[in-house]
Amino acid sequence: MSPEAAALELAERAFRAAEADQAEALVHSERSGFARFAGSEVHQPTLIRDESVTLRLVRDGRVGCAVTNRTDDEGLREAAQRAAEAADGSPLDPYFAGLQEPADVPEVEGYDEGTSALTPEEQADGAARAIAAVDDSGLYGYFTSGVTEVALASTTGHAVSQRMTDASVLVVAATETESGFAEASAWRASDLDPAAVAREAAEKARRTSKASEIEAGTYRAVLEPYAFSELLWYFGWSSVGALACLEERSYLSGRIGETVFHQEFSLYDDALDPRGLPKAFDLEGAPKQRVAIVEQGIARDVVWDRRTAKRAGGGRRSTGHALQPTAQSFGPVPFNLSVPPGDATLDELVSRVDDGIYVTRLHYLGVVDPREGIITGMTRDGTFRIEGGRVTQPLVNLRFTTSFPALVEKLLGLGKEVVLVNRSDFYDERYPFGTLVPHAASEAFTIVGTGSGPGL
Amino acid sequence: MRALCDHAVDAATASGADYADARAVSRRVQHVATKNGEVDAVSDGETEGVGVRVLVGGAWGFACDRRLSEDGAREAAARAVAFARASAASAKRATIELVPLQPARGEYRTPAERDPIDVPLSEKIDLCLRAEAGMRHADVKITEAVVRSQRERRAFRSSEGADVYQEFAECGAGIDALAVRDGRVQVRSYPSAHGGASAQAGWEFVESLQLEREAPRVGEEAAALLRADPCPSEVTTIVADAEQMVLQLHESVGHPTELDRVYGTEAAYAGTSFLKPGDLGNLRYGSEHMNVIADSTTPEGLGTFAFDDEGVPAARETIVESGILRGFLSSRETAAQLGSGHGGSMRGDGWSRMPLVRMTNLHLEPGEGSVEDLLADIDDGIYLCTNKSWSIDDKRLNFQFGTQVAWEIKKGKLGRMLRDATYMGRTPDFWASMDAVAGRDEWRLHGLTNCGKGQPGQHAHVSHGTVPARFRDVRVGVREA
Repeated sequence: MSPEAAALELAERAFRAAEADQAEALVHSERSGFARFAGSEVHQPTLIRDESVTLRLVRDGRVGCAVTNRTDDEGLREAAQRAAEAADGSPLDPYFAGLQEPADVPEVEGYDEGTSALTPEEQADGAARAIAAVDDSGLYGYFTSGVTEVALASTTGHAVSQRMTDASVLVVAATETESGFAEASAWRASDLDPAAVAREAAEKARRTSKASEIEAGTYRAVLEPYAFSELLWYFGWSSVGALACLEERSYLSGRIGETVFHQEFSLYDDALDPRGLPKAFDLEGAPKQRVAIVEQGIARDVVWDRRTAKRAGGGRRSTGHALQPTAQSFGPVPFNLSVPPGDATLDELVSRVDDGIYVTRLHYLGVVDPREGIITGMTRDGTFRIEGGRVTQPLVNLRFTTSFPALVEKLLGLGKEVVLVNRSDFYDERYPFGTLVPHAASEAFTIVGTGSGPGL
Repeated sequence: MRALCDHAVDAATASGADYADARAVSRRVQHVATKNGEVDAVSDGETEGVGVRVLVGGAWGFACDRRLSEDGAREAAARAVAFARASAASAKRATIELVPLQPARGEYRTPAERDPIDVPLSEKIDLCLRAEAGMRHADVKITEAVVRSQRERRAFRSSEGADVYQEFAECGAGIDALAVRDGRVQVRSYPSAHGGASAQAGWEFVESLQLEREAPRVGEEAAALLRADPCPSEVTTIVADAEQMVLQLHESVGHPTELDRVYGTEAAYAGTSFLKPGDLGNLRYGSEHMNVIADSTTPEGLGTFAFDDEGVPAARETIVESGILRGFLSSRETAAQLGSGHGGSMRGDGWSRMPLVRMTNLHLEPGEGSVEDLLADIDDGIYLCTNKSWSIDDKRLNFQFGTQVAWEIKKGKLGRMLRDATYMGRTPDFWASMDAVAGRDEWRLHGLTNCGKGQPGQHAHVSHGTVPARFRDVRVGVREA
C-alpha cells in the first residue's frame, strides 16, 4: 500500500470509529531529521517520527474534536469517545459550515522522492557540508529535511491526501564581533547548496566588524528577502485572514477595494506555485485557491476558511486556508504569501535608496498595533549604512517600530528575483510553509533605537 | 513506561552509546475557547511516545518514536546512536563532560484536589460562557474566554541508573475583551494576557481566579481605553505591575541567564546573551533592590518537579543577589563547561524534543511596602499594567514592551487612563534604575505556557513570582518616530 493510500485508510478507519451524524478525520504524519549545529559542530541532532489523527464529530449539530497519536483500534475508539463527549458538552455553533463536501483538489508539486529518502547520515552530511565551507567563523544553524503526509476523509465522501517534502539550510556565521546570515529552502533537497549558504553568511559576517550607531528616525532602506519575508509574515498573520477583518482587528478591515499601497506592490497567497511549498488543500480538506490580496496597490481580498465564509454570508466561500479543526479559533492563515518581482537589480535598489540602511534579517518581531500594521523588532546579522548609493559601513542591531503599510506604500522598488524564505520554526507537527519575496526598497523604515553590535 | 525506557537505554548502550537516557511521555490536553457567547473550540488531545538521547564519543544524538512499545523504544535508540555517529564528523571534542550526579530515583505527583482533566468539558464551557457574559458592553465587540487542562506522565531512565516517574497536572484560564470604535482597537485581559494564567495545580486554581467576578471590570476598561489619551512620549518614572514584571523578568533576566545561550548554542534562533561566563559573581545586573531566584520547588509553579529531564533534583538557586549576577540556569554539560553549578534546568517539550536549558520558576524577590507606597514617591510618572506586546534583541539587551493599559501618576496618586503605552530600555541600565520593589503581600505567581526556544521549536511552561516595581528615567510612549 502506498503511503498516501495508508494515510487515507487510517483516516477512514478513524472516522468510522465514531458514532456521529458526521465525522471527519485528519491524519498528519511526520518523518524528519534536524542536524542543528553551533560553533561549527552538530550539537542537537533530532530525528522525529510521529503520526496523529484529529477527529471532528458532529452530533445533533454540535461539534467536538479529539486528537490522538495512538492509531490502533483502541486508540481511535477512545479518541472518538472523547470527541463525542466534547460535542455533547457544546452548545450549537452557529458558524459551523458543515464538513467539506467531495471536491476536486488541484494537482500540485511539492514532493520529491530523493528528499523523502534522505537518511540521518545524509542529513548530518548536509550540516557537515555547510560547516566545511567556512573556517574563519563559527557556524550556527541547521540542515533539516522531512516528509509530511496530510490525509483527510469524512462521512461526506470527501477523501484527499498529499505528501510534501521540505528541506532548509540556515546559517549564522559569527565571531565575537561579527555575524552574517543566509538561508535556503526548497521542497527538493538537491536544490540546496549548504556550502553556498554558509559562504554567503560568512561573507556577510566579515563585513560587519566595527559597527557604528545611527540616530533614530525614518530611513530609506533596502530589505533583503529574509527581512522582507518576516515583516510580510507578521503583517499577513495579523491582517490578511478573514477573521481579523470580520472582527475589525486587521489593517485591511474596511479597506478592501481601496488603493492602500504603492502601485508596484501586489500580494498573493499562492499555494499552487511550484517555486514555493505547494499545498493542494487546507486542513479541513477545502481546495487551495490562489488569492489576490493586493493587486497594483489595491486591496482585493483576504483568505477564508469555511467558518469565516459562513459568518460573512453573501455567498462567500472558503479559499482553502483553514487550520486544523482544533485551531480554527485563530481563523484562516495565509501560509503561502507571494510578492511578484519588480524590475530592479539589487544595485539599482541600493542606488535608489541613496542614503539609508541595508537590512539582512530581523529578530523577535511583535505586532504593536494590528489595526495600523505597526510592527516592532530588531535587525540582526548584517545591517549596513547606504551612502551615496552604495552599501558602506556596518551598523549595530537597530530597534525598529515601523508601519508595514507605510513601508509598502512608499516603495522605491522591488528586486527582479523572488526567493523562497522558510517561515516555519518547526514547533509542533511539521507543516512546511514559507513566502516568495524579492528584495524591497522603501522610503519609510522607522528606527527608534540601537541595540548591541553584531556577533555572539 | 519505565520498562520501555529501560529497553531504550539498553538498546542504545548495546549499540555503542557511552551515555543514554530515555523519556517516555504521555500527555493529555483539553482546550475550551468561547467567543461572543458561542463555543469557538472544544478539543481533547493526547500524545505519547519515547525520546532517546545518547552520547557517542563527543557527539549527541536524539531520536523519538510515537509508539510506546519495545519496537518503538529500540528503533528510536538505534536511530539516535546512528545520528550521533553521523554527527560526530563535525565534533571537536573527544568526549562531552557532564557534571557528576548521584542516580536520581523517585516519584512526584502534583498535589491536586480535583484533577483538571476529570472536570467535564461541559463544566468548562459553562464557566467560559458565564465569564464572557460579564464583559459585555456597547463598545466591546469581542469577548473571549479560554480554559486549558493538562495531565502529563513522564518516566525517565538513564544508563547511570536514574529511575524517575513524575505526574504533572496543569490548568489555566483567562478572559479578554476587545473594544472597537472608529478604527481604534483596545484589549483588556484577566488574569493575564496571551491566554490567561496557568498553574501546576488542581481545578481549584481555575476556580480561585474568579473570572466572573473580574469580567465586568475587564469589559469596562477595554471600552474606556477607546476614549483614553495616548501614552505621552517622554522619559519618566514608571511603576510596572506584577504581571508586566513577569514579562520583564522572563525576557531580560530569564533568557539571558540560560547558559546554553551564553555559550552560543541558540545563536541561530533564540539568540545569545549579553552575559559572559566570566560575569558570574562580578557583573552588576541591576540595583541593590534586585534579587532573583530560580526555584523548581515552588508550589503551583509550572516549572516545579522532583527531577529535571537529566535527573537532576529540584533546587532553589540564587541568580541575582543585591544586583550582582550569582548564578546561571544550566544543564549538566554547560555547568561542567562553566565549572560551576550542577544543572537542573534541562526540560524537553513532550517526548519528541531534545531537552534544552529552560527556565523553571524564576522569581523577583519582594522588597517592602505596597503599590501605593511605590506611587507615593512619584510626582509625575506612568503606571503600566498587563503585557500587550514584546520584542527584545538576540542578546537580550535592547527591549521594547507594550502594555494593555496605563495610568498617569500625579503627586503620588493614579490619574487618567492612558492607551497604547510602550517603554523601551537596555537591560542592565533598566534594572539599575529600579529603586523600589513592593513587598511580600504584593507577590504573585504567574504561569506562562508560550515560551519558545530551540530548533525544532519547543514550548516550555514556566512560572514567575513577581511584585510591582518602580524604575526611574524610562523612555515611554515609543511608536513611530
